[in-house]
Amino acid sequence: MVGERTLRLLGAGIAVAGIGVAIYITISDAGGGAPACLVGGNGCQTVADSQYSHLLGVNVAVFGIVGYALLLLSTVARGDAGRFAGLLLALVGFGFSAYLTYLELFVIDAICQWCVVSAGLMTLLLIVNAARAIAYVGAELAAGEGSGA
Amino acid sequence: MASRQEQRELARADRERRDAEERARERRQRLTRLGTGAVFAAVVVVAVAIVVSQSGDGSGGDTNLEGVPSVKSELRGLDQRGLTIGDPNAKATVVEFGDLQCPVCKAYSEQVIPQVIEGPVRSGEAKLEFRNWTIIGPDSQDAAKAALAASEQGRYWSFITLFYRNQGQENSGYVTDSFLEAVAKGAGVEDIEKWNQDRQSSRWDAQIAQVDTEAGRAGFSGTPSFLVEGPNGRKALSTPGSASPIEAAIRGVS
Repeated sequence: MVGERTLRLLGAGIAVAGIGVAIYITISDAGGGAPACLVGGNGCQTVADSQYSHLLGVNVAVFGIVGYALLLLSTVARGDAGRFAGLLLALVGFGFSAYLTYLELFVIDAICQWCVVSAGLMTLLLIVNAARAIAYVGAELAAGEGSGA
Repeated sequence: MASRQEQRELARADRERRDAEERARERRQRLTRLGTGAVFAAVVVVAVAIVVSQSGDGSGGDTNLEGVPSVKSELRGLDQRGLTIGDPNAKATVVEFGDLQCPVCKAYSEQVIPQVIEGPVRSGEAKLEFRNWTIIGPDSQDAAKAALAASEQGRYWSFITLFYRNQGQENSGYVTDSFLEAVAKGAGVEDIEKWNQDRQSSRWDAQIAQVDTEAGRAGFSGTPSFLVEGPNGRKALSTPGSASPIEAAIRGVS
């Protein structure tokens, strides 16, 4: 099993990438446009213009920034508190990303590449945080038996 | 018989084994509690977020408009005069008969009309005209008059396009004064006071009734329908499905 320190570093790296993507989407929206789709097409514009791009009047990417930032913090927190926080945040992030992806595919009928990237990062964060929780929850109970932290 | 030393070692090994089993059991219990708690909390949070996200679904009428920048971008640089958009000297005119409450018209506004604008309108082959065929309900009349009032200030197509972007559920009551005013402001209507006066004028009633007569004469049964007119004739298209039949008709009548 990969050491917990490695999982925390991996989680931190992915969370930083997620913050970058979410900030880009937020800035694009604040500038009155939409994120530029890298291979042409106007899927990003269509998604950005839809009612689902905002929650309570706030761009969902802002919630993404907060979520990724909290996930980054969870990688710094040691012990079961950090593992629980990471797992919970990753589950929430994954669940909401899955819902937004469903909306793109079946309701809005347009794909925003940056939303796909964010969903992919959140999936990776779920895998990393689930692995951290399953392998290392209660590791302090077995102190001295190689907690891997 | 085991010596006392061996008995003590056996007892210690047994104790250590039981301690390890106890710690492993506690870890499994803690993981189960943590995992269950995390999953339950996540389900609740995500469910609440979905409900909040869906709470505006189909209701429309939100004065926090969507699509203002993209509508500006779509119609940038085009001449809006009265009910038309595009080069006023263009040979062909594509007349759309639509209802601002019509969801199919909204789909056309977002998927078909942009292609017509980027193609024959920007190249100067055709201009677009929108006629309010108010068939869905009384709110369609209010929306139509608001759009026609915007035409007095050269913002007709901006108003219609932005309205469609923010369209709500048919006859749900979303066409409120505040919604219409938000659309007018987003469309760039400069004198809102004049716009408010104009939209309440009865002079639009005859114009709207005339559209119904024209649609009937053209044999249209629903919205959106298109009449493509040019020096070489006219062609009626009922819900053509895509921009291609419209573009072919433009070529045919030009």
